[in-house]
Amino acid sequence: MNRSTLTLALAGSLASAIASTAFAAPLAPEKMVGNEKCYGIALKGQNDCAAGPGTTCAGTSTMDYQGNAWKAVPAGTCVSMNVNGHKGMLAPVKS
Amino acid sequence: MTMTFQDSQNAFASALLHPDLPLPHGITTARGTADPLRFAIYRNNVHVSLTMALAQRFPVTQRLVGSDFFTGMARVYAADHKPASPLMMHYGDDFPAFIAAFPPAASVAYLADVAQIEVAWSEAYHAADGPPLEIAQLAAIAPERIADLVVIPHLSTRLVRSDFPVGSIWSAHQDETVMPVGEWRAEAVLIVRPEMQVEIRILPEGDGEFLACLLGGATLGDAAEAAFAVAADFDFGSALTGLTMLGAFSAFEPSEGEVS
Repeated sequence: MNRSTLTLALAGSLASAIASTAFAAPLAPEKMVGNEKCYGIALKGQNDCAAGPGTTCAGTSTMDYQGNAWKAVPAGTCVSMNVNGHKGMLAPVKS
Repeated sequence: MTMTFQDSQNAFASALLHPDLPLPHGITTARGTADPLRFAIYRNNVHVSLTMALAQRFPVTQRLVGSDFFTGMARVYAADHKPASPLMMHYGDDFPAFIAAFPPAASVAYLADVAQIEVAWSEAYHAADGPPLEIAQLAAIAPERIADLVVIPHLSTRLVRSDFPVGSIWSAHQDETVMPVGEWRAEAVLIVRPEMQVEIRILPEGDGEFLACLLGGATLGDAAEAAFAVAADFDFGSALTGLTMLGAFSAFEPSEGEVS
């Protein structure tokens, strides 16, 4: 596509998208919230309010500092999650 | 010889982080001799704290592999990656890269990308506030200039693209019961916080390519052409208005090559 054809196509596409959303006037924030749900696939849990790590007093000693040789295998939901046969595997890992 | 306060602090910190070093000078107990087992408690506290900080920042990653595996992996990471900043919200920024190169995690191929969503989530959460671009500003752009504009992303905008449905996997783990994940396919996930709440969206295929190009500094015209190339049904207008309404951008400006 040459540049001027592209420019025309983009401008037309944008104009019709803006027209179809009927947003001629500036949007009120609360209106934006309702309308944006139309685009993309909204996911659960996005309003999580965890403030991130470092907000609790962590670190109660169990005195196992030297005993951390690697040996675990994945054993969480990746093993059981139903994803069309794409499960996590429980292959033993040699340390 | 007297150590300065700073020397003494550095020696203490260094001994904390390196179990093979001798106990720092000047450590004593009530009985008068230093006790390596007691000092090991402090060493352990450092490691437990770092591991727990990772578990808080990567809850879905932890659920995916279970807490035993996660804790073991986090300890290996923490052994070589100490916080670069006292702000613990930044700790683990490169944990996804570590996971990707961690052989025991290789069987869970999507793990690193899910962790990347969790990094993006906390980065978006802590990003500076800023007003997102509004649709009215988009409508005011002269049509002949559109193709040559570049975007300035919103400070909280992050895009995670994966060969795996990592947005769906992340979402499936937000409730107590793990939901089934639908179609097994690549996903592009937008993470953004235009107001107070972090929004996470799975973008249509062409739109993921479009946004990736824009975030890389491409003009709207070049990004649109790249998106058309990967998705014939790419709709420039709805992609641009959709991303704008989600708050992904803060402004448009002419590209450097344009004479204005």
